[in-house]
Amino acid sequence: MLTTLLRPTNGSASILGLDVDKDDAAVRHKIGVALQENGIDEVLTGKELTQSTGQLWGLSKSKASKRSAELLSLVGLTDAANRRVKTYSGGMKRRLDLALSLIHKPEILFLDEPTTGLDPGSRRVLWNEIVRLRNEGVTIILTTQYLEEADTLADRIAIIDNGVVKVEGTPDDLKASIGGDIVMFSFETKETAERAANILKNSELIGRELRTTVENGPQSIPNLCSVLRDNKIEVVSVSSSRPTLDDVFLKVTGHKLETVKANENNSIGDPTRASSDGA
Amino acid sequence: MKITVLGIPRELLAMALNGTSGATFGVQLRVLTKRLMIRVIRRPYTELPTVLISAFFLFVYVGQLDKVFGGSAMPSSIDFSKGNFVNFILPFSIVSASISGASSGINLVEDIESGVFRRYQAMPISRWAVILAPMLVGALRVLLQSGLILGLGILIGASPATGSLGFVVILGIAFLWGMGFAGYSVAAGIRSGSAQGAQAATFLFFPALFIAPTFVPREALSGWLSSAAAFNPTTYVIEAMRGIMIDGWIYESILKGVIASGLFALITLSFAVISARKATEKN
Repeated sequence: MLTTLLRPTNGSASILGLDVDKDDAAVRHKIGVALQENGIDEVLTGKELTQSTGQLWGLSKSKASKRSAELLSLVGLTDAANRRVKTYSGGMKRRLDLALSLIHKPEILFLDEPTTGLDPGSRRVLWNEIVRLRNEGVTIILTTQYLEEADTLADRIAIIDNGVVKVEGTPDDLKASIGGDIVMFSFETKETAERAANILKNSELIGRELRTTVENGPQSIPNLCSVLRDNKIEVVSVSSSRPTLDDVFLKVTGHKLETVKANENNSIGDPTRASSDGA
Repeated sequence: MKITVLGIPRELLAMALNGTSGATFGVQLRVLTKRLMIRVIRRPYTELPTVLISAFFLFVYVGQLDKVFGGSAMPSSIDFSKGNFVNFILPFSIVSASISGASSGINLVEDIESGVFRRYQAMPISRWAVILAPMLVGALRVLLQSGLILGLGILIGASPATGSLGFVVILGIAFLWGMGFAGYSVAAGIRSGSAQGAQAATFLFFPALFIAPTFVPREALSGWLSSAAAFNPTTYVIEAMRGIMIDGWIYESILKGVIASGLFALITLSFAVISARKATEKN
């Protein structure tokens, strides 16, 4: 909708003061959209594709050629510039897609799950690129299924569940909203875990594991353990960790880990906004 | 002074064509056409079947009908080819090459399926350019194939009454006609959204070719076919080309052929753009 490809069902939205519905043509000049390597003509070479896209954006032939070389080197595709895109790997196509979305120097960049399905190496390369763009002052709106990605890249995160923004803030704010550290116990059997759950208040049962939130994990573990020992409950292992965005996600969406795993397509949106100028 | 084209203010026309700022319409059309041409050139074998079909038509009809309507018919009433049946049947083969314009629809469906079409939508590109580019490529394809067929025709004895300039005019008409047919297939491709749909639409090609003075002049067609052929633009295209081959510069028939093919191209272009507007409407 914000990329002007869909019309708002109701209400209105604006980007940089321009209405996305009425001023869609003007908005398109200000934004760049990467579409998960969709819409890339694989019969063309990377160079041909970036050059022609530059010309379509209104650059002269020589400027388009210069911009193409600039962007291809930026995303590390200079060596592959004269090869047909058909021969590119998944990671290379994503990088090309990113280059294409940057041709007209957009002020706001929309990245739709840019690293989904990429190997860790390619993902790292793309992350570095995104961070570099952020540091140059480009506002980036990125959706992702990977909370770790949001944590690394984002200045601000919104978690969307079933189309509703559940929570919004900086990664640190969101983690702080958990209110302390996560302590995780695991037990021999499910029954033991259930008994422990009855004793420790504010705890959540996940199979044979029990998680609870306390103010200071390392300090309270001895205490919690002794309470369980007094009730003749044997603990197999215990750990304390700072909350992660996974914990925030579980808390705000109310999903158990199992249901998240069972339903990969859950609408986990993480529009994260980099830079301070805001959208 | 306010400059208008067909009553439309110039700035408004420029905006409609160019899609606000960005590249001019001419640049858009050139870049988009070039891209499609690269695709065609890099996959040349997909072009082969249509050339072969047109050549096949030429040889088979000459082989079957030359003895009846060719030189031996000279003094009789069926001497409408004036002794050279290749001259008479060659326009039909050229028009049949227009089936290659149908690949344009398939090209466009490929772009819809690969998401290229959607990417263009997110860019300041005129819809007219996006539609016109595959039509131009289709027309160029028909032009090339018509050229090949003409070459073959010359090899087996075609000689136009108007000399080699006649060939140029024939190719010009073939270009327009090819563009019309390409526009038709582009519209069909957009409407159906599938390669099969674009392909199926080429069935129109058969009535267009045969409800026409295909093998004999219009006067020799039986009543209903003769009336039906009068409504078929193909009739005027074939007659214009035949006039050039057999009778010389008969401007009225040439003009009719140019108008028929030009109108056909204009109508299918508009139809394709309207279809594209519907298909890409935000929802």
